[in-house]
Amino acid sequence: MKLNERSVAHYALSDSPADHTGFLRTWGGPGTPPTPSGTGRRCWFVLKGNLLFSFESREGRAPLSLVVLEGCTVELAEAPVPEEFAFAIRFDAPGVRPHLLAADGPAAQEAWVKALSRASFGYMRLVVRELESQLRDARQSLALHRHSSWRVVTSRCKPQAPDRWSPGLENGHSRSRDCSPTGLVEEPSSRPAGRGLAEWELQGPANLLLGRGQSPVSPETSCFSTLHDWYGQEIMELRQGWLQRARGAQPECEEQNRP
Amino acid sequence: MRFNEKELQALSRQPAELAAELGMRGLCPHRRVCPQPVGALLLEHCRVAQEEPSGFSISFIGDPERKYHFECGSEEQCQEWIAALRRASYEFMRRSLIFYRNEIQKMTGKDPLEQFGISEEARFQLSGLQA
Repeated sequence: MKLNERSVAHYALSDSPADHTGFLRTWGGPGTPPTPSGTGRRCWFVLKGNLLFSFESREGRAPLSLVVLEGCTVELAEAPVPEEFAFAIRFDAPGVRPHLLAADGPAAQEAWVKALSRASFGYMRLVVRELESQLRDARQSLALHRHSSWRVVTSRCKPQAPDRWSPGLENGHSRSRDCSPTGLVEEPSSRPAGRGLAEWELQGPANLLLGRGQSPVSPETSCFSTLHDWYGQEIMELRQGWLQRARGAQPECEEQNRP
Repeated sequence: MRFNEKELQALSRQPAELAAELGMRGLCPHRRVCPQPVGALLLEHCRVAQEEPSGFSISFIGDPERKYHFECGSEEQCQEWIAALRRASYEFMRRSLIFYRNEIQKMTGKDPLEQFGISEEARFQLSGLQA
């Protein structure tokens, strides 16, 4: 299967923010035989969005491997070597071996499991949808309040949808400060009092996202708080396990890899 | 760069956002001939542009000379694909999230992510965008 590897490698090294980084031990991802010593290979890992890259070293200029974190689960696992804080990325597909990884300590392990298990596009979209509906509610109640009190609406920042920040802009890449996509570039717009604010303020980025009316998220995960509880439960269970293990293990400093 | 094709094949079998037969230069365009995916484009840092007469192209910042051309059946279909592709990146989602978080915080004075215990996550921070 062809993949736009060159641009993906460029993205891995670009200055767009990483969501999580650190050294992890890895035991032969696909195509790599396990190291004879059984201690695995120590690589620098970078999580960017839903893409997990590994590098030979922190300064590595070419990613060694890529895992697209969609449709996978992340769980604690047994490492070939005791006292390793291992976890596995599993894909529910026939013939696909899990990626076995290990952190240097329990805190790093927990942080990685948390970051990886929430890295999917679907999770991100769910949070966006939840916030979209919260913003809609907030605006509606504000508009109602303004209607009832007949207060003159003074100038305020008009939110702009990301699509409109700069048409034709590269995904996730702003060319200049003027295209700041955070809504921080405030453009005060005066607004006549008493108009139906709720009606014309409801257009937001996720309205565009929802435009097709298709739900790519499965029905049972449509409620964010349900899903969040579900993830939370998983993390509680993991934490329980770590706490039990931590009592028997020497505390380790996860910061030792960071200069 | 190593990646596991089977993982990407499994991903291609998940529910689609948008699916259609589109003409693509240089690749097998017919699903019935190609039961397995012939290729995948990861859409971070990409630019989607309309191409005459009824097609579009995807190019990447990291590989600007290379353009992937697609032919659509109609102008309408073309617009649909362009719109869907522009909001398909993770970075776009991240920006949307930060936008909403910021707006809600301005209106209510509360951080909406706090109730979910994810307000500290790096990917939801405004500062991340200035990098």
